[in-house]
Amino acid sequence: MNFAQLLNGVAFGSLLMILSSGLAMIYGLRGVTNFAHGALYMAGAYLAYSVSTNFSFWLALIVAPLALAVLGAVLELVFFRRLEHRSHIEVGLVTFGIALVLERVIVLIWGERTLAVSAPGGLGGTTSVFGVAYPTYRLLIIAVAVVLAAALVWWLRGTRLGLHIRAASRDGETSAILGIDSDRVSLVVVCVGAALAGLAGALAAPYVSVDPGMGVSILINVLIVVVIGGAGSIAGAMIAGMALGIVQTLGAVLLPSLSVLVPYIALVAVLLWRPAGLAGKGVAR
Amino acid sequence: MRNKVVPALAALVLGSTLAACGTPGSSSSGAAAETIKIAIIPPSSGALAQFGSDSAKGWQYAVDEVNAKGGIDGRKVELIKKDTDATSATTLRAAREAVTQDGAAFIGGVMTSTENGALNQQLAGLNALSFNSLGKDDALTGKDCTGNAFRTVQTNLMDVNALAASLKTLPGDKWAIQAVDYSTGHSAAAVFTQAAKAAGKQVVLEQYAPLNTTEFGSYISKLSSSDADALFAVEYGADGVAFVNQAAQFNLPAKFESVLGFNMVSEPLFPALGDKIVGFYNNVGYDIAANNALNTAFVQGYTQKFGSKPYYVVADAYLAAETLFAGIRKAGSADPAKVRDALNNLTFDSIAGQVTMRAGDHQLVRPSYLGQVVKDGSGLAFKIIASADGAQTTPQADPACKL
Repeated sequence: MNFAQLLNGVAFGSLLMILSSGLAMIYGLRGVTNFAHGALYMAGAYLAYSVSTNFSFWLALIVAPLALAVLGAVLELVFFRRLEHRSHIEVGLVTFGIALVLERVIVLIWGERTLAVSAPGGLGGTTSVFGVAYPTYRLLIIAVAVVLAAALVWWLRGTRLGLHIRAASRDGETSAILGIDSDRVSLVVVCVGAALAGLAGALAAPYVSVDPGMGVSILINVLIVVVIGGAGSIAGAMIAGMALGIVQTLGAVLLPSLSVLVPYIALVAVLLWRPAGLAGKGVAR
Repeated sequence: MRNKVVPALAALVLGSTLAACGTPGSSSSGAAAETIKIAIIPPSSGALAQFGSDSAKGWQYAVDEVNAKGGIDGRKVELIKKDTDATSATTLRAAREAVTQDGAAFIGGVMTSTENGALNQQLAGLNALSFNSLGKDDALTGKDCTGNAFRTVQTNLMDVNALAASLKTLPGDKWAIQAVDYSTGHSAAAVFTQAAKAAGKQVVLEQYAPLNTTEFGSYISKLSSSDADALFAVEYGADGVAFVNQAAQFNLPAKFESVLGFNMVSEPLFPALGDKIVGFYNNVGYDIAANNALNTAFVQGYTQKFGSKPYYVVADAYLAAETLFAGIRKAGSADPAKVRDALNNLTFDSIAGQVTMRAGDHQLVRPSYLGQVVKDGSGLAFKIIASADGAQTTPQADPACKL
């Protein structure tokens, strides 16, 4: 085990962290397990592929989250708001259907072929970190995740809108009585959650390959992260995402034959030990 | 539970038996216009989807071509396309449906060795023949061989033996192996290790990543810190692209004197991988420049029709169709049993030159190549640097195979 392996874990953890914080936000407020989150991430990656091929990767980092925020608005206005009073499992199934449709549409537009996005100019090589030559692009992902985590915490803890989001997540009815516009709060949260998925996808494009299976393969990890973190807890999801990234990567080094099982073992262990998840806020929100 | 399973099984067995009785009966009853039905079951989702749809194109091209010439002995050929997610359960279900409901007697386009292994065991019951142009696991024509299964693509052993013949000349003495964690990866690694020893080289690291791995960081860091000076890599499709791209970001290839891929880099991935793979070695199953009239016509016709040149997945599917058609012509019938007998030791001209379907294990004996990725105009191409005859890479049928 060495420092490079730890960085590998942190880089993968950073990706899971960005992706799962969006999912946790939507779950916290809407109570919806958004199975379309993997497909949103995938859409972000494919958009990043097109934008970075034709313009620049940096533009893709802006365009993908914006486009996904618009898609998020559609999800909220067309599905989540209308299905607000239906059981969570029904809405969950609807998002599963949306995921299938979205993935198919992506394949129809971009094809089944695996695509690769080059790291932006100057970040393609390696940088020495404490004597270890490590890919510069992965360091960028880690940096973005750190900045984003700080920004999200500030947004939720330090702004008026953040206060409203926390209040509505804790108790939607009471917060509505107190004058919080829950429709507006929901719209913002779903847009931001989808935009985070788009950002994660764009960041992932030069990191992992862009292919039709990418959404499904990461979704399971992210769902596990959200459950481990404490359903609906954003801070919990961030910590759990980082922890799972590190544990899974180190697991692949130390116990290669068992590495595939690591997320599931972690899931079972956490559910037995702390059923409400690491953040322990409780399923009742 | 049992009460439900038994009638279901009975219905299934009855269904397949009826179809088995029905299909050959109706074809032997004589009408020359009887259509020959071929089911292809390539994966339509997941990491292997692209190879699946390309394989389907190869079959489609062959069928269109033979139909344009009036069919086989006057019989039209029809392709029935089924979807699978490359799991054995789905593929078997699709195969049963194709044979019992759609009346197909021949099956192709099944991708992985695991699926082919599962299918092979069902073929006798279904009274169908399978033409495997994709699964390269040796056991399929070894201990798991069955009489109704034919393989037209090279086995791992054939390809690795072809690489082994030139391994001595490849730079690097201490090899690391990075392979996909399923049957093809393990058997390729085993054969390579043996070949490396024979060539006086060492294998210093051997590691496996699960299929659909997207994050290779931990594997690459291990390769970087090993004392290997050459790499043998068996990663396909999306996994292969992720591995090669991430390895480049770690500057890994610079550490090695040779990077030898097994089914890792291929023509459809050239645009995605770009210049970072120039100099990589890889096995090449199909030589697009093979100098024979059938191949020239195939390359020209296919390129004209689809706008891109054929590569091994397409060409191997086409070769599987050529093999089936040759068998039907020789048998003068589309009865699976007669076609099977006709194919034994049948030698015919194909896009890969003169090839023979070996009776002992139903493996098509054809050449394998070692290629190196070179720049070709604005893109990339394989330069064939060594070739090995089928008779040389597998001199005889696998003794483990009892047909």
